[in-house]
Amino acid sequence: MSPVFPMLTVLSMFYYMCLRRRARTATRGEMNSRRAIESNTRALPINVEIVQYAKEVLDFSSHYGSENSMSYTMWNLAGIPNVYPSSGDFTQTAVFRTYGTWWDRCPSARLPFTRTPPTFCSQDYVELAYEEPVYPTAVHILETYHPGAVVRILACSANPYSQNPPAEVRWEILWSEAPTKVNGPQARQFTPCIKQINFPTNLIRLEVNSSLLDYYTELDAVVLHGVKERPVLSLKASMIDMNDIDEDEDEEKYGCGMDTLNKQFSVVTLREWPTNGYFDKLPYELIQLILSHLTVPDLCRLAQTCKLLYQHCCDPLQYIHLSLQPYWARINDTSLEYLQSRCTLIQWLNLSWTGNRGAISVSGFSRFLKVCGSELVRLELSCGHFLNETCLEVITEMCPNLQELNLSSCDKIPPQAFNHIAKVGSLKRLILYRTKVEQILKHLCMSGKMVHMTKCLLSLQIEDYDLIASMMGAKCKKLRSLDLWRCKNITENGIAELASGCQLLEELDLGWCPTLQSSTGCFTNLARKLPNLQKLFLTANRSVCDTDIEELAASCTRLRQLDILGTRMVSPASLRKLLESCKDLSLLDVSFCSQIDNRVVLELNANFPNVFIKKSFTQ
Amino acid sequence: MFSVLSYGRLVARAVLGGLSQTDSRDYSLVTASCGFGKDFRKGILKKGMCYGDDACFVARHRSADVLGVADGVGGWRDYGVDPSQFSGTLMRTCERLVKEGRFVPSNPVGILTAGYCELLQNKVPLLGSSTACIVVLDRTSHRLHTANLGDSGFLVVRGGEVVHRSDEQQHYFNTPFQLSIAPPEAEGVVLSDSPDAADSTSFDVQLGDIILTATDGLFDNMPDYMILQELKKLKNSNYESIQQTARSIAEQAHELAYDPTYMSPFAQFACDNGLNVRGGKPDDITVLLSIVAEYTD
Repeated sequence: MSPVFPMLTVLSMFYYMCLRRRARTATRGEMNSRRAIESNTRALPINVEIVQYAKEVLDFSSHYGSENSMSYTMWNLAGIPNVYPSSGDFTQTAVFRTYGTWWDRCPSARLPFTRTPPTFCSQDYVELAYEEPVYPTAVHILETYHPGAVVRILACSANPYSQNPPAEVRWEILWSEAPTKVNGPQARQFTPCIKQINFPTNLIRLEVNSSLLDYYTELDAVVLHGVKERPVLSLKASMIDMNDIDEDEDEEKYGCGMDTLNKQFSVVTLREWPTNGYFDKLPYELIQLILSHLTVPDLCRLAQTCKLLYQHCCDPLQYIHLSLQPYWARINDTSLEYLQSRCTLIQWLNLSWTGNRGAISVSGFSRFLKVCGSELVRLELSCGHFLNETCLEVITEMCPNLQELNLSSCDKIPPQAFNHIAKVGSLKRLILYRTKVEQILKHLCMSGKMVHMTKCLLSLQIEDYDLIASMMGAKCKKLRSLDLWRCKNITENGIAELASGCQLLEELDLGWCPTLQSSTGCFTNLARKLPNLQKLFLTANRSVCDTDIEELAASCTRLRQLDILGTRMVSPASLRKLLESCKDLSLLDVSFCSQIDNRVVLELNANFPNVFIKKSFTQ
Repeated sequence: MFSVLSYGRLVARAVLGGLSQTDSRDYSLVTASCGFGKDFRKGILKKGMCYGDDACFVARHRSADVLGVADGVGGWRDYGVDPSQFSGTLMRTCERLVKEGRFVPSNPVGILTAGYCELLQNKVPLLGSSTACIVVLDRTSHRLHTANLGDSGFLVVRGGEVVHRSDEQQHYFNTPFQLSIAPPEAEGVVLSDSPDAADSTSFDVQLGDIILTATDGLFDNMPDYMILQELKKLKNSNYESIQQTARSIAEQAHELAYDPTYMSPFAQFACDNGLNVRGGKPDDITVLLSIVAEYTD
């Protein structure tokens, strides 16, 4: 037997095994998303671009839908798009709670904080986690209705899926722009030009501002394009920086101003300028007034310049109203400690959005309040996920003068912690949106000072809204605004007692309360008893009918905002009566009202040009 | 010596493998759908998986395969409401719930309940009613969990015999249990059953079991023996043959429905209740035919 045959068999076996290995598919990725494409440049090391859809929605400030629902909630932002490229008002999209300026025009609107840097205009945010950390090369946002709300995109250095807590959490702004008006509600893919960053990220945050939009914006998906290895472009850039010539040029450009100034002053000796010039001859109050226009970081920087300005910048009178929300990414325990000594007279404090991912600890917050809480009148703590029962205890103890408290989306506070708030006797305004509050309202009603209870909704554990409403009717006589959006089991009895008791009500949100039936007469009763009503939302109450509208026209002539989305029983005739009678009406939402078609809306628009009539659509 | 050991090892492994009771393979359902709407209105192009006023869905999730059928109650047409809107939206919503993993495989009634609640969360004022039947195959436990509300239903066929079937839920003749959303002026007058009223069952399935999920358009026109006859022709578990069999079942039911002399199960039941009728029952027919097979990605 020649040795050729065994050799041939061995060789063919080897060949076969190599073929099999190559034929085996490379990755068996998750259902959700990975697709690798080769980039064009072959000369440099191949950098594979990865396209990912969001794996999970980690955090957000608000949404339109119910907490456990799939309809109009933020959870829809994860995964592949459900609706895009169709345009319209679909349930499978992510919708924020508010739009436009309507909520700023309500009786319950709060005055904005001064000294907000003009670059910060975000009203809501959503944080998305992706599977793989990449260096982002592009972010595509698929907007399916009234696009144009996104104003800022940020990337975080921390990996939300890593087992160890991150050493340092850094947020980098990939793109930021002032809100611009986008014409039309059509769907679009928004791809802003993002900055290159020098760390891989799988946590993206979008910040939105819907104030210029005509209706709710709806987002379908956010696609993250990125590369695993640091892009070659940035390496090239850093190499150029090392170049001597460029360095000199840069200094020339930015340094020339200082140089000429220095040259001018070097002529004059110090002896001729013993003090800070004429500046400190100004009255103290005038300098304070000038400094009151500076933003907080500028104030802190200014404090480092000279002793006089240090004295001014550390004066507690500069810190009566303090908003740290624009700097949420950088505020931590150290910043609070640093500001502590200056904030002893603080009255309005905004710590919304701050402190997450371990930036502020409970002890740091408590320490700050112990020093600075005595004069506090307004405290905004929206989306403060670090807050727990101890924090609420501290607030109750240390802030006896507290009148306004915003605990929107503070979902880590356990239900029993809210009992502490009942002890704050001077509370006038309370926001408990998306918290776990259960029984607090019963206690709260004991305090007769309550004026605004906005966004106290979505507590699935509250057993009996009727009881709460009747309590409010009995005790909170001064109530001017009440938000009962999505209160699952309120009935006409509760509404009746509320209407009888709270005669001063100007704003009432009864959207998505399915248990209210117009046939019981609850809406006509409401209209008759509350002549001061300026805002009434009866969103998705399918029983609202012509009788109700006519009663509103007759009794509530000061009405400014009315939402009757989704009813089949309101005719154009009664709407005409309403528009004629309520001269101040500026917002009328008749979306999905079957008897009100586009032709009617056009006609009403022509006859009543001052009213924004909203008619949403799905196709 | 070497070869004896290696052979011995092979033999031992084979024997032990055959003896072991637990089957650790994941199961899946290979499903084909077919159906006919009652009126062949050619002009109206419905989205896939809608046959007349009936609707169905087939969804895959990592942990389970889920099927559903819904029969829209045609009486709404007299009040200007399109009956297919409710059943179609209900099935689309249940499909989305499954795809997003918002369900527990052992609780199919939960899928119905959640789907129904989501319908109420829609801004669009939906009206209408439908029956519903949900079938869930839990991949790892090899159990089939079902929920049935109304007169749609399912059959499980093993070795040419029906081993499980669903029960019809009727309030009275031709009035099945139904999920509904009524206009406010008609609340209390319109029949509306809670999703909790659904019948729910659970049982083990084996590889090769055939599951037939259908609306009453099939069961009212084809008795069991005819269905079993058609299913005997199903030779293997690839998609094409299942599709073919589903089609032939649906077609046969459709033919029988319009046969005026045929004693359909519907006519038989009517006669038993004192109504002297003969013939098939023209109705929307939806058939989902599945075979339990091994799970492949």
